[in-house]
Amino acid sequence: MISLARRTQHHWPDGARCVIGLTLDFDGTSLERGRGQLPYGARSHGRYSAKCGIPRFVDMFTRQNVPWTFYVSGYDAEVSPDLVRSISRSGVEIGSHGYFHEGTDPGDAEPELLERTHRLLAEITGVEPRGWRSPSGHKTARTLRKLRELGYVYDSSDKDFDLPYLARYDGEERNDYVCLPNNTSSLDDFPFYRVSYTPPSEVLAHWKQEFDAIYAEGGYFNLTVHPRVGYGSGSPARVAIVERLIEYIKPHDGVRFVGMLELAQWCLARPAEWRRDWSGQ
Amino acid sequence: MTVTIPVGVSVNLQGKTVEQRQLPEDALFGRASYGKYAYAVGCQRLFALLDRHGIKATVFVPGAEAEANPDYVAALAARGHEIAAHGWAMEEMDADGIDERALLERTHATLERIVGRAPRGFRAPHGRLSERTLGYLAALGYCYDASFQDDDRPYALDADGGVGMIEVPQSEILIDATLYAQRQTHDRVMKTWREEIEAMHREHCLIALTLHPRSDYGSARASRIAALDGLLSWVSGLSGTSFMTLDQIAASARTQFR
Repeated sequence: MISLARRTQHHWPDGARCVIGLTLDFDGTSLERGRGQLPYGARSHGRYSAKCGIPRFVDMFTRQNVPWTFYVSGYDAEVSPDLVRSISRSGVEIGSHGYFHEGTDPGDAEPELLERTHRLLAEITGVEPRGWRSPSGHKTARTLRKLRELGYVYDSSDKDFDLPYLARYDGEERNDYVCLPNNTSSLDDFPFYRVSYTPPSEVLAHWKQEFDAIYAEGGYFNLTVHPRVGYGSGSPARVAIVERLIEYIKPHDGVRFVGMLELAQWCLARPAEWRRDWSGQ
Repeated sequence: MTVTIPVGVSVNLQGKTVEQRQLPEDALFGRASYGKYAYAVGCQRLFALLDRHGIKATVFVPGAEAEANPDYVAALAARGHEIAAHGWAMEEMDADGIDERALLERTHATLERIVGRAPRGFRAPHGRLSERTLGYLAALGYCYDASFQDDDRPYALDADGGVGMIEVPQSEILIDATLYAQRQTHDRVMKTWREEIEAMHREHCLIALTLHPRSDYGSARASRIAALDGLLSWVSGLSGTSFMTLDQIAASARTQFR
């Protein structure tokens, strides 16, 4: 077991004390379409992403001049290719996020879905994705094998550690693939806006406490937000909360905002720093 | 005369046995990886906090978790924490088709072998017992159970089948999972706990705090540890409070009943 408080083996880019990865999962109508639902009426939340939430987030990130990472489902990219292309051309990394934002393990259909999304994103943006975020959090060793085959170097889906670490699957630790964990119980908008229906001001206070604790220990802050209405953060009050959080973080000494691929490549260039103690696992 | 108000801090050591009930090892990634957090990070951080406060906790350990991490469980015992039984691998004791007695005996023997001392207390995984569970526990020599949520103070279990045993009840609202599983913010959890504990203290109730070393429904994220740190300091400053293991609380209750 590793004491994260005392761990000194890892270093961040530019000698930073804490890295900040801001990640946006598109979550358009792919969710509803994947379930065979018509995204109309009360099921239309996914349409808000492309129309309102994403433009509002792009404006805010631009105003704050911070890097961010965009995870996009294949279906959403097909529906909004111009939007995805223009964000990619502005220098933002596009990672893949399932085809229909598969909510459960697609089983044997998964490799084809991963490949289809990979091809679509590459065609639309002209850049092959190198990072993946699991839609709804499902991921197995089979997922990892296929991602690796497609040339991915990281995914941001696991919840079992507070720092990046070299992936381990099929009994082997990999030097060429890194897990950049996220946390969907505390550093995500869904749990607060959908599960506990917490007002935005209290969510901001919570995320500030998350930052304070992470800044004091380990220094890896990965926030997952969605540009939808409903469970997401696309509406005016909620984008404002993410902006207030960025403004709170910025003045701290030694913070560095990173793109996730940039961070993955940093880790993979010095794999010895990102090995994890697997005893008891 | 000053009144002692017992505060029992217990930890349910639930790691990946939770996920393994549904999934094979090669599917414990993504949202199914929260259980692995317990031994990678969570235990280290949670028990470091308790040690810093000088609190001896009661740690309910599923037999399978102990078998996978024997050195760690033995080390916890060596640090003065009480190791108690928590089923074999998160099974519900009232489920159809399980050999309840065999699971209880296997857990009992495993913990005794690893810790060097038989467990004296039991907490049912998921809080689920059959009508036979307490009888099996009494036959194995258990002194107390800590699965019920039906009293402000310990009570005797004779009438429920646990002859000679004491119940050291939990408070549902003081179980971290109750609130964190509903994704409440730290501030709301601490506000709820302070209000509940303040009133329990006023009425001289048992204060039973139940924690998990996880980052989804548990208290082990760095931010939650920071919140818990403040709460424990506040509790220890309340007049008459005394942190005790559940075994000590049960033993003290037994002398009152005799």
